[in-house]
Amino acid sequence: MTHLSRRAFVTAALASLLVSCAGHGGGASATRPGGTHVSARSSADPANAPSTLGRSVPARLRIPEIGVDTPVMRLGLAQDGSVQVPPITAHDRAGWYQHSPTPGQTGPSVILGHVTVGAYGDGVFRHLDRLRRGDGITVRLENGGSAEFTVTSVRTVAKADFPTKAVYGDVDRPELRLITCGGPRTGDGYLDNVIVFAALSTTHH
Amino acid sequence: MRRTVLSATAAACVAVLASTVPAFAHGASASATPRPSAPAATPAPSATTAPSARPSAPAGDEPSAVPTREPSRAATPVPSVAPSEGRGQVGVVPSGAPDTGVTTGSTGSGSDGMLIGGGTAGALAVGGAAVFLVRRRRATGA
Repeated sequence: MTHLSRRAFVTAALASLLVSCAGHGGGASATRPGGTHVSARSSADPANAPSTLGRSVPARLRIPEIGVDTPVMRLGLAQDGSVQVPPITAHDRAGWYQHSPTPGQTGPSVILGHVTVGAYGDGVFRHLDRLRRGDGITVRLENGGSAEFTVTSVRTVAKADFPTKAVYGDVDRPELRLITCGGPRTGDGYLDNVIVFAALSTTHH
Repeated sequence: MRRTVLSATAAACVAVLASTVPAFAHGASASATPRPSAPAATPAPSATTAPSARPSAPAGDEPSAVPTREPSRAATPVPSVAPSEGRGQVGVVPSGAPDTGVTTGSTGSGSDGMLIGGGTAGALAVGGAAVFLVRRRRATGA
C-alpha cells in the first residue's frame, strides 16, 4: 500500500510539473532577436530593369522568407500629419500608403505593418528585421498583376532620425519600402523603425 | 489498493483541472490589459479612401492633401511637422516616423508574473491535493 501511495505521489508530482510547464509556455512572449543595424544599402542595377506596371492598388503581400502572407489595406494620413497605421487587431494586416506609387510604378511604394500588436502578440511584420539582401517580396495587385521585388537593404533607424527622404523621396525605378517598428522598447512603443528597401525584379501583368 | 489507484487518478484529474489556472491567468491578463487605443479599429480602409485620393491621374499626384477624417493611433513622439505636399512620386510626404508597434500587454513583466503565479498556484494545488488524498487513505487504513 505504501508503495502505491508513493506511486500516487509521483503521479501528482509529475502532473504538477506539467502544470508549471504549461503555465510558462502559454504566454505570448515576444523575445526580440538582437541586432539593429543589419545591412548596408546596395547600389541600383538599372541595366536589367523590368518593365513597370500601371497603377493598381496592392491587394496582397507575400514574403516567404519570414512567413508573411497578408491582405493589404489602404492607409492615408492621420490628423497630425503622420502616416496612418493598420488597426491593432489579433490578425493585423499590412497597409499601403495610398499617397505613394502602387507597387510596380516608378517611385517608392510604401507598405507598413506592426511588429507587435499589444496584447494580441506578434504583428504581421514581426520578423521584418530578419530579411536580408536578395530575399524576395511579392505584391499581388487588384488588377490581377503582380510585382516581385528583391530586398536591397534593411535598415534600423531611430525614429527621431527617420530618413524621410530615403523612404519617400523620388527614385528612378519601381521600389518598395516595408516599414515597421523595432529597437528598444519604451512605454508601449519602440524607439526605432525597421525599414526594408527593395527594388522591382519581375512583373506579371 | 483500489483506493490508492483511485487516489492517483483523482490527483491526475486535479492536475489537468489545475492546468486551466495558468491559462486563465493569461487570459485575464490579456483582457484586463487596457486596449492600446480606442480609435485603432476605426480607420477602416474605406474610410481613408477619400474620393479625391483616387483620381484618374496615373502617377500618384493626388491633388488633395487634406488629412483623412479618421484619426489613427497617436503618432510617434518625434516632433511632428506638417506633411509636405510635394509634386514628387509620393503625393503627400507624411511627417514623423510611423508608429507601427504596440508592446502593451505583450511582454510586460506583469503578464509574465501572472503566468508564473498561475503555474505555481496550480502546482501547489495539485501537490496539496495529493498529500491530502494520501493522508486520508492512510488514516482510514486502506
